[in-house]
Amino acid sequence: MSDDILGKLKQAILDYDPDAATDWARKSVEAGIKPTDTLAAMTDAIREIGEGFSSGELFLPDLVGAADAMTAAVPVVEAEIQRTGATAVTTGTVVIGTVFGDIHTIGKTMVATLLQAEGFTVHDSGINVTAEQFVEDVRTHKPDILAMSALMTMTAPEQRKVVETLKEQGLRDSVKIMVGGGAITQEFADSIGADGYDPTAPGAAKLARTLVGK
Amino acid sequence: MEFKRGFTRRFPPLKVLTDEQVQAIHRGTLRVLWTTGVLIEHERALKLFEQNGCKVDYDNYRVRIPPDLVEECLRKAPSSFPAPARDPSRTLMLGGNTLCLAVAPGHKTVDDHTWEPREATRKENYDAVRILDALPTVHFFSPYTPYFGFQGVPSCMAMLESLAARIRNSGKFQCVGFSNDSEMFSIEMAKSVGIEILGTCAWAPPLALYRDAVESTFRTVEAGFCLRVVGGQLMGGTSPASIAGAIVTGNAEVISGLVLAQLIRPGTRVLVKDFTAGMNMNTGAPAFGGIEIAVHNTACSQMFQHYGIPIDQTTAYPNSKSPDYQSAMEKAFRVMSAGLSGGNTMLFHGSVHGELTHHPLQAILDDDMAGMMGRYMEGVDVSTDALALDLIEKVGPVPGHFMSAKHTREWWKKEQYVPNTSDRMTYPEWMTSGKKTCIDYARQRMEDLISTHKPIPVTDSQEAEIERVLEKARAHYLKNGLITEDEMREYRASMQSPNYPYE
Repeated sequence: MSDDILGKLKQAILDYDPDAATDWARKSVEAGIKPTDTLAAMTDAIREIGEGFSSGELFLPDLVGAADAMTAAVPVVEAEIQRTGATAVTTGTVVIGTVFGDIHTIGKTMVATLLQAEGFTVHDSGINVTAEQFVEDVRTHKPDILAMSALMTMTAPEQRKVVETLKEQGLRDSVKIMVGGGAITQEFADSIGADGYDPTAPGAAKLARTLVGK
Repeated sequence: MEFKRGFTRRFPPLKVLTDEQVQAIHRGTLRVLWTTGVLIEHERALKLFEQNGCKVDYDNYRVRIPPDLVEECLRKAPSSFPAPARDPSRTLMLGGNTLCLAVAPGHKTVDDHTWEPREATRKENYDAVRILDALPTVHFFSPYTPYFGFQGVPSCMAMLESLAARIRNSGKFQCVGFSNDSEMFSIEMAKSVGIEILGTCAWAPPLALYRDAVESTFRTVEAGFCLRVVGGQLMGGTSPASIAGAIVTGNAEVISGLVLAQLIRPGTRVLVKDFTAGMNMNTGAPAFGGIEIAVHNTACSQMFQHYGIPIDQTTAYPNSKSPDYQSAMEKAFRVMSAGLSGGNTMLFHGSVHGELTHHPLQAILDDDMAGMMGRYMEGVDVSTDALALDLIEKVGPVPGHFMSAKHTREWWKKEQYVPNTSDRMTYPEWMTSGKKTCIDYARQRMEDLISTHKPIPVTDSQEAEIERVLEKARAHYLKNGLITEDEMREYRASMQSPNYPYE
């Protein structure tokens, strides 16, 4: 029974179907399945998609479609985790966003999805995020990693500003910082004191695991 | 080849849409503008739209534009207009059956042996502008060109240093972008040296126009300059994956920008640019070299001929990393489709890989491809002299020939485009002369142009004005914190050469 429901939930994510995923997540709660097992089944599905993407068998619309299906179902499971007081197993927590002045979303969304596939809990701060907002989100979510994207040469310096603001607020040492985007290079990442940089989305997800020691 | 004021197409444009399909896309555009609407993050613009019959949702910055206003504004914008250059012999007419090509920019330069990217120096930036000024098929300069910045320059000054370099080293028509209010200083610089510029209003797809783009629009139009409205999208990412759907969203963007320009100042000269590319579904990056862009652009040309508005095509960026077969294949389809379909402008010369790298060597190779396209667009002269019936009668069958005829001496140079960089040798000649490729010929031409080309100089008073506006901008950005004290020290140090501003 439990395997059947979790199998259907996993399949709904593999079918990019947010309605079915939400429905089967709800049924898993009704059937009394441990919410951490439900979450693990969903992570399995997104990992499978992530592996297909990394090997070139699946493409960006598949990755984002599956992530949307999972995102739709997650609140149902999170509510049950909270209600039962269960502890979710996670690789780590990431706050991610595109810096102020920059409204490019695709690269940031890819990395966020692949981080989910690696088992991270991801808080997406969105695009055009000010340094103050990043600091606020770090304070609120206490992430292991802050990930920032900047696609344009003009907006890359904003990443430096976020790092400096975190220092001023005494939060810099509480979080690892990784940066990426078309305008960023390893040299730039080093110059602003970031902990990591990777030019590709799959590489960024692997880098995040390294940064949290997993 | 001499500089021409664009290439003139002497035959009907290629069409890929039926009249019914043109109408279907137009109706779709009107529906999106009126039903879906667009996001415009600017109070003054919202009020202007509301005063002219648009539905405005101030809380969500959403503007819905009625069809009759769209049609009225499309009629008000001129179907062709002059683009005056500092050197009057370089002044262009944008629109009609003319294709004008411009520089395709890059963030950085490349090493022209390893093809790896690196930041350009001040001298490389100025030399590249000089080479581009010399190339006859570069009709004008686009923003950020040739490089998005160069060593020592803080990023907020890149746009203005770029314009300064282009005014100093070229007499051709100039286009500017916007970043952190840079257009205020671009406009001041242009006015103070007595030139016109093409300003920019760039959309954030899908369907959003942010505050800085609207500011640039107001400032450009109120200065009396012409405006380039850029919609830009990745099909499947920021627009529908279908070409027709992408044209509808792109149309909705650029037409909304055109409407805004006409509401600010009726009759404003507008060049629209539907900057669309497929998305690389492996990486999310633009698939700039894709043939689908050429198909999309051909259809867009047709739509804007229907509207009677000049259109700039998607920049001819290749995905290749060096000037190789892939690069030539990607660029050739794009410039060919622009020339055949009635595109009016295209950023073409010098991009090595996407918008990330540019090199004058590549621009020299592109100059030949552009020249070949220009020749194609000239079409076939079928005059009595060209038909040459009397000559054919005189020469007759073999052993007659045409080599000694005066007609041949007069006509072959009209009909043939002779490339500067193509290898046309026989095998024996090629093997005994170093097996040179087009890259070798381009390198030689690059060295020749660097040592010989002298752009039309700016006057002392123009130079003083350029430097005054640059200093004003530097002070502005230092004051508002976009340049730090450390960055300013480094910037000043980069200006110590006795040959400043040229190196």
